[in-house]
Amino acid sequence: MHEKRMTGPDKSVIVSGISKSFGAVHALRDVSFEVGRGEVVGLLGPNGAGKTTMVDILSTLTRPDRGHASIAGFDVGSEPASVRRTIMLTGQQVALDETLTGRENLVLFGRLQGLRRSAARARAEQLLREFDLVDAAGRRVGTYSGGMKRRIDVACGLVVRPEVVFLDEPTTGLDPRSRQTIWDLVAGFKNLGIATLLTTQYLEEADALSDRIIVIDHGVIVAEGTADELKERTGGSYCEIVPRDLNDLPAIARALGSLVPQQNRAALTTASDRIAIPAPDGANTLVEALSRLNSADLELADIALRRPSLDEVFLSLTKDPNQSAASHARAPAEPPSAFPVSSSNGSGGGRHRLNGRGSRRVTDVVS
Amino acid sequence: MRVADQDMKADMKRGSAVLREDAFPMVDRRFGENSLRLLGPHTWVQTQRLLVRLVRDPLTFVFGLILPICFLVVLNVVLGDAIRSVTGHSALHGSVPLVTLVGAMSGASVAAVGIITERADGLLARLWVVPVHRASGLLARIGSEAVRVVANSFFILCAGMVLGLRFNHGALASLAWLCLPAMFGIAFATLVLTVALYWPSTILVEAIATVEYLGLFFCTGFVPLDQYPHWIQPVVQHQPLSYAVEAMRGLSLGGSVLRPALATLLWSAGIAVGCAIPMVVGYRRASMRG
Amino acid sequence: MTAALAVTRPKPSTFAQWWVLTTRLVGPSVRNGEVLLSVGSTVIFTAGWYVPLNHIMGARSGMSSYAQFLMPLIALQGIAFASEAGALRASSDAVTGINRRFKSMPIGMLTPLVARTSTSVYRCVIGTAAALVCGYVIGFRFHRGLECAVAFCAFLLLIGVVLSYLADVIGTTSKNPEATTQWLLMPQVIFGLLSVGIQPAEHFPHWIQPVVRNQPISQFVYVLRALAGDTTPGAGSLTWSVGAPSLAWIAGAITITVPLSAVLLLRRP
Repeated sequence: MHEKRMTGPDKSVIVSGISKSFGAVHALRDVSFEVGRGEVVGLLGPNGAGKTTMVDILSTLTRPDRGHASIAGFDVGSEPASVRRTIMLTGQQVALDETLTGRENLVLFGRLQGLRRSAARARAEQLLREFDLVDAAGRRVGTYSGGMKRRIDVACGLVVRPEVVFLDEPTTGLDPRSRQTIWDLVAGFKNLGIATLLTTQYLEEADALSDRIIVIDHGVIVAEGTADELKERTGGSYCEIVPRDLNDLPAIARALGSLVPQQNRAALTTASDRIAIPAPDGANTLVEALSRLNSADLELADIALRRPSLDEVFLSLTKDPNQSAASHARAPAEPPSAFPVSSSNGSGGGRHRLNGRGSRRVTDVVS
Repeated sequence: MRVADQDMKADMKRGSAVLREDAFPMVDRRFGENSLRLLGPHTWVQTQRLLVRLVRDPLTFVFGLILPICFLVVLNVVLGDAIRSVTGHSALHGSVPLVTLVGAMSGASVAAVGIITERADGLLARLWVVPVHRASGLLARIGSEAVRVVANSFFILCAGMVLGLRFNHGALASLAWLCLPAMFGIAFATLVLTVALYWPSTILVEAIATVEYLGLFFCTGFVPLDQYPHWIQPVVQHQPLSYAVEAMRGLSLGGSVLRPALATLLWSAGIAVGCAIPMVVGYRRASMRG
Repeated sequence: MTAALAVTRPKPSTFAQWWVLTTRLVGPSVRNGEVLLSVGSTVIFTAGWYVPLNHIMGARSGMSSYAQFLMPLIALQGIAFASEAGALRASSDAVTGINRRFKSMPIGMLTPLVARTSTSVYRCVIGTAAALVCGYVIGFRFHRGLECAVAFCAFLLLIGVVLSYLADVIGTTSKNPEATTQWLLMPQVIFGLLSVGIQPAEHFPHWIQPVVRNQPISQFVYVLRALAGDTTPGAGSLTWSVGAPSLAWIAGAITITVPLSAVLLLRRP
């Protein structure tokens, strides 16, 4: 007999005004957000931002100082037992009994969740097949590789159906194939209407998996929205043009004419190796620029439409005291190169070298 | 690591296959998490796990059985004659109980290390988040220690009988004989677990060993009471290990049993009761995070 | 931050490296309880052997007091506990992988080993001091003059260093730091019991007397007793026949444990 009690139409997780301090450290300050059924929310933030504390509170491991939270309609403060029945938790460390075999771990968690021994065994076999761990099932978990440990960890959380899943940095240290398995799982959760709260440091992961992203820093939510909305906030698309011959840059700037704002034109120095123009029309701007350059008969090494990466969103939204100093110090000393240093999606590096200023400047240009 | 050589699409199919709605088993949720009916089954599942752990760790046998039995043999070789000449009886009546108690105590360090490691690994937290009776985790730890101590004591008793220990009062006395180290062993395990919850450090194991040897040296099972200097005889006489040894000696050799047995019971109950609340509080704090 | 990479590389001096590696082990030893533990264990075991056994063994010892008879064993226990602290440390280092890290740095091959040895000496000095204090408290005195007293301590230190190498080997190969001390403690007690440190060899059963007489601990005890002297002739005389077996044991131990320790430290990942 499954209990499915949900107050409110579609909200699996409701967090309202949660605050938590550990002595003098304010881990969370008046945090509020919601996660709907079947929604994947990514919780992003630097180390120490409060992400793990939030997950601890929602999984009944910690009591908040103030505020309320509810999971699938059950309040974490007054009904922790019911909350525990509806959640699945995987932490950063794989928390399994390493002296037991994979199969024994699955049976253990099955029985702890309330299954009878036979049902737990059957479910364990099923999960072993699905997670491709049948050959390793008889070995102690302590001998598994990182990817296998993570898979058996997740499997142990899936012996019964959860309503809400907490994934705390689930793919840290995994090879791409294992990471893909976890990503597929999250897709599966969505299909079943299971809400997922994903904490990750891999911004591409948050970008790819989350319906919504919440950026948290020093215990406070600094931004909330879809990945696209956040990128828009930090700076819209821009078009980056790299000439084959660096001396052509002034000619390119002339040829593009009105597409290049005065600031960008003035910022071109002898050390610049590319020019960036805002692209409010997206691909159309690119086409326009291309046609103008064509008619001026200028040769290009590269022309591309770029969006700010989530890295840049993250870095600009969360305070890093070293960041602004470093970017100013760095810019003049870097030698020009044809292609930008690749960040996770390859667009961020070039912009720093663009006109010697940090990324915020381009935001100013666009807005 | 063996992952099947399939392409990404097949992986996606596999991922979603796990999560078919009908694949999840049904769970009986009639009873609340903390209902008394569930305490037994929940505790049993966790006790089983801990026992499997103990059995798979070779140190359990080394510290609980092998080293104590070696110690028993050596003790007998070195002090056997001296004690027999002083008391007129075999020294085994005192040394076997002593070694049983020592084995019970030193085996507890394996459980202490276990709980410290599980806390550091996050397993303790994970077991807290699982919907089981809140008391079952702690009861399981004590339960597994109880089983270990009884089994341990039985094997050391067998070793003692091989060396020549005889029960003058029949087989029933030997059963009663086993109860005493069980009682003290459980109380000591409670103490050790409580300390491990508040002081999760590797030095704890050495501290346990030190207490163990202190108890060993100043116990009537090591050397008869009248051989100790007068000023320390009260301490030696009234410490729990001595009372336990006297009760066990009474059962095997003859002499007063009831008084020392009651004293052992009082000591064990006292330790257990004293540790009860700190242990519960400590376990909760160790499982939760803040 | 990248500016930090441009700093010129200093040239490492072997002496400085040795000093750093030694103080790394010595420095925290008071704070983390190592010193307290080994001194405490010495005190406890002194009381543990002396108080119960004084009466029952004292008369049979053949010396002026049981304290005088027992002292060599107490002294040996003092350095044994010191070595065990070293084993615990070695085991923790092996498990955390810091040895591996050191191996990838421009540290001379033997420097970590020498540093470990220096630390062992430091620990054994403390262990010897503790044992001497305990012995004094229960009534032990040096009866053969200053040179023999110094030789007593020097001999102890020598045994201690060799024992430390052995403990080091055991500690480095053990994957379980917590278990290491317990592993070492019980055998130490057993060896101590089966030696002439507790009672003279004649009082052991006949079949085990050869073992008791010739095991290394007993040999060390004979030498130490002779060096300490006594008011009665029970201490034995200071001749080569007394000392030779001990030196042979020590030489044998050195040839085995020192290279083994070096190999483990240098080769083990």
